[in-house]
Amino acid sequence: MSEWEPKIVSFLCNWCSYGAADLAGVGRMEYPANIRVIRIPCTGRMSPKFALAALREGADGVWVSG
Amino acid sequence: MSEVKNIKGKVGNFEVEIVRHPRYVDESLCIACGACFEKCPKKIPDTYNQGLAKRKAIYVEYAQAVPLKYRIDPETCIYIQKGGKCGACKKLCPTGAVDFDQKETTQTLNVGSVVLAPGFKPFDPSGFDTYNYANLPNVMSALEFERILSASGPTTGHLVRMSDGREPKKIAWFQCVGSRDINRSDNAYCSSVCCMYAIKEAVIAKEHAGDDLECTIFYMDMRTMGKEFERFYIRAQEKGVRFVRCRVHTVDPVPGTDDLHIRYVTDDGELKEEIFDQIVLSVGMQTPPELVELAKQLDLELTPGRFCKTDPFSPVSTSREGIYVCGAFQGPKDIPQSVIDASAAASAAGEVLSAARNSLTKVPEVVPETNVINERPRVGVFVCRCGVNIAGVVDVPAVAEYAKTLPYVEHVVDNLYSCSQDTQDIMAEIIREKNLNRVVVAACTPKTHEPLFQETLINAGLNKYLFEMANIRNQDSWVHKNNPEMATEKARDLVRMAVSKVSLTQPLKEAELDVNQAAMVIGGGISGISAAKSLAKQGYETHIIEKGERLGGQAWNLYRLPSGDNVKKRLTALVEEVEKEPKIHVHLNTTLASVEGFVGNFKTTLQNGGAQDVLEHGIAVIATGASEYKPSEYAYGDDPKILTSLELDRKLMDDDDLVKKAESAVFIQCVGSREPDRPYCSRICCTHSVHNAIELKRRNPDMNVFILYRDIRTYGEKEYLYQEARKLGVIFVRFTLEKKPEVRVEDGSVIVRVIDHVLGVPMEIEADILTLASAIIPNADEKLAQFFKVPMNEDGFFVERHAKLGPSEFATDGVFLCGLAHYPKPIDESIAQGRAAASRAVTLLARKKIHTSGQVAEVNPGWCSQCGVCVSVCPYSAPTFRGADERFWPEKAEINAVLCKGCGLCVASCRSGAIKLKGFDNDQIFEQIFSINEAI
Repeated sequence: MSEWEPKIVSFLCNWCSYGAADLAGVGRMEYPANIRVIRIPCTGRMSPKFALAALREGADGVWVSG
Repeated sequence: MSEVKNIKGKVGNFEVEIVRHPRYVDESLCIACGACFEKCPKKIPDTYNQGLAKRKAIYVEYAQAVPLKYRIDPETCIYIQKGGKCGACKKLCPTGAVDFDQKETTQTLNVGSVVLAPGFKPFDPSGFDTYNYANLPNVMSALEFERILSASGPTTGHLVRMSDGREPKKIAWFQCVGSRDINRSDNAYCSSVCCMYAIKEAVIAKEHAGDDLECTIFYMDMRTMGKEFERFYIRAQEKGVRFVRCRVHTVDPVPGTDDLHIRYVTDDGELKEEIFDQIVLSVGMQTPPELVELAKQLDLELTPGRFCKTDPFSPVSTSREGIYVCGAFQGPKDIPQSVIDASAAASAAGEVLSAARNSLTKVPEVVPETNVINERPRVGVFVCRCGVNIAGVVDVPAVAEYAKTLPYVEHVVDNLYSCSQDTQDIMAEIIREKNLNRVVVAACTPKTHEPLFQETLINAGLNKYLFEMANIRNQDSWVHKNNPEMATEKARDLVRMAVSKVSLTQPLKEAELDVNQAAMVIGGGISGISAAKSLAKQGYETHIIEKGERLGGQAWNLYRLPSGDNVKKRLTALVEEVEKEPKIHVHLNTTLASVEGFVGNFKTTLQNGGAQDVLEHGIAVIATGASEYKPSEYAYGDDPKILTSLELDRKLMDDDDLVKKAESAVFIQCVGSREPDRPYCSRICCTHSVHNAIELKRRNPDMNVFILYRDIRTYGEKEYLYQEARKLGVIFVRFTLEKKPEVRVEDGSVIVRVIDHVLGVPMEIEADILTLASAIIPNADEKLAQFFKVPMNEDGFFVERHAKLGPSEFATDGVFLCGLAHYPKPIDESIAQGRAAASRAVTLLARKKIHTSGQVAEVNPGWCSQCGVCVSVCPYSAPTFRGADERFWPEKAEINAVLCKGCGLCVASCRSGAIKLKGFDNDQIFEQIFSINEAI
């Protein structure tokens, strides 16, 4: 179990969090690679169905940020 | 990296001499990969982080820098300082961008007008020996503390003390360090921003460190006179930030610890001692000496505080015609005011140049668009190596190989640098040759490079929306460099997700719409006429709609400005100028009966008595002003000696007997402002009363003048008035909200009773004139708000697009805002905002046509259940209901593509699933989600 890594799907707002994730790269910060980012135009676009679909597809966590 | 050395010539034909310092990096070649930075051996204090962290001699100042290009600091670079003994960056740079041979160059620009925005330098507190800033690491400047709180700062936002890395439990802020101080600095003015930023820092510090962090702010007057600032101050008090009114003299180290000991006196005269873990000095703004020197060289007049001198009726014009000023060089100010000034200066500079507008434009060649509708997707995938930036971590050939196996993928290439001009040409060629109809670029980030690659698609004859990026650099190789396998795996997933999304994209159309070139300004007060004047001078037919009988508004009620200007005289001249302007059409005694349409195409019905008239216009400026609160407190109305501020102005104008015969005058501040049911500061009343107190003292030096106040808020260089008033013997008595003064009228005398804040005993003053500095209350016009679908806050002021960055416009396109309808402000700031609103409007009018984005929401009217959620949630007023009498789909919702910003709020909110967001539609996002499962 110690090697278990959660799989995380994130929905990031184009204007803030997605840009922040880019800046994390510019700043060469490091974080685990078990995250997949889906860019959305605004967190207002986020639908509960997206979170459910991600969980159904095997994600262990869904992160919405904006 | 460039400096202005001199400006010769005059308005319309300036010659600006510019010295450009060498970057030692070729901007056209640098791709900001950071290889140089990693290998540079020279570590020096990081100026951006206020010296709290280290950086290298080759650097970008901060992550958000534009352009994102490295530069070499010649003062510290080993190669430059020691004659060629290093050059590691040059050897390592994959694009050969490092160029030690670059020299300083001089350039002369020929321009018609100039805007100065050189900013300020924070005050350096090293000279205050009693604060021990230079010696004690836990005494820091507010800017240093900002970096400690910042996620991109030296401690990544973790709140610790610099001396020992321990989390502080008690922090104190000292206000007015290098401001309002002629003792230890030369800065007599108030820096306007420090009270607010200290409160903000205290609140954020508590958010970072937890509520048990004790924050104390030591201040003289709390100056939260900006929009929504007073509420923030109240909330900070509720959150437990302690406010102590005292200017602390000395900070002593506590021997054997890194703690700090201070002594201070409380309001009731008690001497207290306290120990803090950390002390933050709220340093003020000042004009740096080199800027004072430049101003001298450019022949610009400065104020006593060494800011650029301007006239209140032309607040962004310097003493030299054609040279304009904005920001903190014009006077200490916060972000919203700087943004307002910036727009106003742009407008002023544009007025001079309006004749030359569009005389140097070039029209790009348009490649006809290929029709790909109903074609099977043929996806081209371009995987970028970005030198070693991606390829050094991610196995790019493996990702490219993998991409070939994905559905609909026809062609895959890996590029060394996808963004280089020659690669762009090759990509366009490949798109045409392989007949590709969808493109994926796996490279850096769409935030910076999507427009560039879309341009390539357009050049290849493809609709630019048939494109998707996979972010395998910023969000992959750069952040997982120690895990190449996982990074490669992630890159595969990101490419697959992008391919599955792009296969479902359709070409999108960008609608084009003509912008009616006429402007309408609602409100003929000073901000409205300033906006109109500016619009007309830039060549636009402008209509001023004024409900009253004449132009000028509230300003007619004012006597003199703090500058000494006679308002009536200046205003008369301004109104005459406006009335003579052929492009300005004044509609007096006129109101709005209805407004139809939207940005670029408004149709407004004007009502003048019984007559109606229709006006078509492209933009609207709301300048509906505010009025004076008529007090219900302090016995107002019971005696003719009790006046409001404007009534006193009238008496001063008329040289009334009341003023002539008065031997004592009392002003009571915050009448109706900063009260529980009106929790905002009216911003101008302190200055107004102090100025009138001086006027009374000038007319009769023997008059006893008292100002009863809570905090004196003479911000910026208005502070000099406060000093002058005290010098002239005006007596300032402080009171609190809990213990307000009492006024009674007794046998024809007006008696004011107040508790003296020094002695703590009640005193009574017989006032021959009692002036109530009453609040400014907005003309909260619900109907107008509904006409233009613009919001109002709970106080009745209109809500701008963005409190800091969009103060003179609304979120609804084509509608702009200025003057008192936005927030109380003095004449100079009203004029600046009038011009700012005009400036923002011209950015729209000058385009003549609006191009909408293709990525907008669209309603399927057959599925619409008319619930109205989309209409109510949209911040941009894009959805509306069709008319009941329309032939097709009556009363169903529709979305105006011109107003839609593509946020998708309506899409997610639509109960019936009737709204699509083109470019980010459900099927596309679901397809991305579905293609994740192989991945994770």
